[in-house]
Amino acid sequence: MSSSVYDRVSKILVENFGVEEDKISSEATFEDLDLDSLDLVEFSLAAEEELGVRIEDEEAEALGTLGDAVKLLADKGADPSDG
Amino acid sequence: MLLEGKRLVVTGVLNEQSIAFSVARLAQEAGAELVLTGFGRGLRITERIAKRLPEPPPVLELDVTVAEHHQRLAADLGERWGAVDGLVHAVAFAPEAALGGSFLDTAWEDAATALHVSTYSFASLSASLAPLLRAAGGGAVVGLDFDGTRAWPAYDWMGVAKAGLEATSRYVARDLGPQGTRVNLVAAGPLRTVAAKGIDGFEDIERSWGAQAPLGWDVTDAEPVARTVCALLSDWLPATTGMVVHADGGAHAIGAPPPPASS
Repeated sequence: MSSSVYDRVSKILVENFGVEEDKISSEATFEDLDLDSLDLVEFSLAAEEELGVRIEDEEAEALGTLGDAVKLLADKGADPSDG
Repeated sequence: MLLEGKRLVVTGVLNEQSIAFSVARLAQEAGAELVLTGFGRGLRITERIAKRLPEPPPVLELDVTVAEHHQRLAADLGERWGAVDGLVHAVAFAPEAALGGSFLDTAWEDAATALHVSTYSFASLSASLAPLLRAAGGGAVVGLDFDGTRAWPAYDWMGVAKAGLEATSRYVARDLGPQGTRVNLVAAGPLRTVAAKGIDGFEDIERSWGAQAPLGWDVTDAEPVARTVCALLSDWLPATTGMVVHADGGAHAIGAPPPPASS
């Protein structure tokens, strides 16, 4: 399940933030992907809209890597099937 | 309703923690019609977040440092409404180098950016919308402040910008008073907004606030500040202008926090 959440998150990063696909990996930090705090605000909103789960501000701040984000979303019951 | 039929321009809505988001939500619930503005990359975010308001309002582009944006905003609002009853100025920015404890090492360029975006824009935006406010019978301008009469940890050049904002609002009140426009600021207690979290060391201010404020203070709840803004936008403070209204739990009035209660 979390692998499809991973795909959805990757898609958000590529389509909304112009992240190059080959830079995306579970270990990549948001800093590696050149996402700053404003981008993280937008990423949280986009993930909320596309995956139907809410990321609280405190949780967004604590995210180290993309893998952490995928795990958080999956743990919160992100639905990768819709959309 | 408090703001029935008021046509309001609200800047500074970035996410649901934004003070301006709470203002927008409460204003709509109180019967106001809104236009939001967004800036640069933030514009996309504002467009997303606008959909979470009870009635998703239009979002117009406004970089307060760009003169053409002011003209375009005024033209759009003129066509849309012909008059504006209220403007909420919730715009501030300082480069990292102007915040967080390197006050004496900050270069002029960085301080200047903070003053341009956070202080001067209050006057320039008020001036740009002045004819539309006049057309509404005067209207109200409300800006967001953080007590600029004292020096704070970490706040640095943003503190100077806010002190300047307080002075600026008095001059705008002086110059727009004759056309009936009321101009006031709301000095908020510390809130965990995107803006505040960008300041390293701002949590030092947060920590003591709740103890010092006679009414207490919740750093996660922007609604008390937003209600105060809505009150100033309403017709119920008709003789109030050039004021800094504190919505801070009362912390500004107290010299030191009370001693811990003995049990």
